[in-house]
Amino acid sequence: MYVALRDLRAARGRFALVGLVIALVAFMTTLLTGLAAGLVDDGISGLRQLPLTQLAMEPSSGGTFSRSVLTEENLAPWRAVDGVEASPIGVSFANAKDPRGKTVSIALLGVDEGSFLATRPEARDALAGPPGLVLSHELKEEGIEVGDELVVAGSDIRLPVLGFTYAGSYGHVDIAFTQLTTWQQVFYGDSARGRFSAVALRNEGGEEVPAATVARVDRAAGTETLTKTEAYAGSPGYSGETQTMSLIRGFLLVISALVVGAFFTVWTVQRTRQIALLKAIGASTSYVVRDALGQMAVVLVAATATGAALAWLLGLAISGTDVPFRLELMPVLGAVSLLFTLGLAGCLAAVRRITRVDPAGALRQVD
Amino acid sequence: MSLQLNGITVTVRDGRTDLIIVDGVDLAVAAGETVALTGPSGSGKSTLLSVAGLLLRPTAGRVTVAGVDVTDLKDRARTRLRGTTIGVVYQAANLLPSLTARQQVEVVAHVNGRLDRTARGRVVELLTRVGLEDRLDARPGELSGGERQRVALARALMMEPTVLLADEPTAALDPARAAEVNALLLEEAGRWGTATLLVTHDGADAAGADREIRLERPASIVV
Repeated sequence: MYVALRDLRAARGRFALVGLVIALVAFMTTLLTGLAAGLVDDGISGLRQLPLTQLAMEPSSGGTFSRSVLTEENLAPWRAVDGVEASPIGVSFANAKDPRGKTVSIALLGVDEGSFLATRPEARDALAGPPGLVLSHELKEEGIEVGDELVVAGSDIRLPVLGFTYAGSYGHVDIAFTQLTTWQQVFYGDSARGRFSAVALRNEGGEEVPAATVARVDRAAGTETLTKTEAYAGSPGYSGETQTMSLIRGFLLVISALVVGAFFTVWTVQRTRQIALLKAIGASTSYVVRDALGQMAVVLVAATATGAALAWLLGLAISGTDVPFRLELMPVLGAVSLLFTLGLAGCLAAVRRITRVDPAGALRQVD
Repeated sequence: MSLQLNGITVTVRDGRTDLIIVDGVDLAVAAGETVALTGPSGSGKSTLLSVAGLLLRPTAGRVTVAGVDVTDLKDRARTRLRGTTIGVVYQAANLLPSLTARQQVEVVAHVNGRLDRTARGRVVELLTRVGLEDRLDARPGELSGGERQRVALARALMMEPTVLLADEPTAALDPARAAEVNALLLEEAGRWGTATLLVTHDGADAAGADREIRLERPASIVV
């Protein structure tokens, strides 16, 4: 990179300009990655943290709990399978009013007493007692305390807060656990007839239930089993949000690749005679390509690292606010690496041009 | 002979016709000898220089450098030879805008994988020889035309070439500077024992050479 590094210093204004554009794209890509992760969290973190591997649901419900209604008849074949833990779960959305008259939205998860879904002893104990709610930690920040009574809108059932469990949400609403019977009372009133939304599944070892078992029992139980990840799609707005974010990030990456490619192509055209001269004084094509690629890599790495670092700092500042934002190293590294790779791919046109420069062009003037 | 061209013909395609630029030229330059190549515009002087500098393959004829026939060498070997055996001084200095005078010469050693302490010492020695010891860190924009050509001469001599080719190196300079640079070129070529082929329009430049070869015949068209 003998010439490349010196070119970077000599033409720092031009490189700073393209670096700024790349840094802005990296900034926005990182920010969007954090927002996408935050939105996903907001949409499915409550479900993700449940210790289940699959969900048996009503066929064609597509992971949407409100479209899935199962009964004991669907549950029994699953419970009969050796080595498989099966627990009914009811999921619905509700509004509840706290003692101060403030209304909060909750994703109400009805769980059977003694279910493997209640992993923490305090949650198990709470759910084994009289009807009540175990709320996501997030609701603590709304000023709700243990012992407060929440009135569930519609059913007017009063449920005391029994405790708090891990922070989690579903469909952008904080989760609240309750006993399955209480959930049925809230959702169906007196006509529940043992109905619930899905059967939570896992092998006794905590692994996924094998596909062959799933297929066999699905037929007998009249259910359709989805993996936990497949069930995310049922969260309200989940698919639309993730697809929108992916589309915006995709556009940003393509724009970045085009900008980088265009800049280095123009830069190469301007340097054609210099490259010819280098070839004329003995530089092999691989030497000039290495030199140019090294220069492109330096610009890309410096700009993407700067943009991503600034977005990370901004992310740290806003992650404590109501903006759904979650920073994770791997997705950010993935996005930045993709930006770098696509940027280099955009430079291929410039590299192709470099390989074709005729050393005889050195006979013309370069300075 | 350090450089030998036998029956060199260069033809280029121009639409439906073939244009003969150089037609069967024979030429030889011995070590330490300077040959001036003169002739009117369009007589093929620069084209012949490109062939000798391995920048252009002749349509017919053989090129021998330091006793080795290099006509049919592959591109990679020709590139290597250009770096190590042939030095060229162009009509315009052709310096790289981002490099200082010192780096303009160093880069030749770098591209040929030979930039070490000895090479760095030689760079300073060469630039001192051409009178630029105080301008080592000046960029092309800070150098006069004559100084740029001196840098170009030092660059051409960096790898101790067997053959030095100069394509009207003083054409862009005023007469005083031109004479100065030309004298320096001949002196340095003689000092290093290089076979020098000097393309020139200038009778004074040609007079300083050991021999003069004149190309009279302009490009001709073959239908």
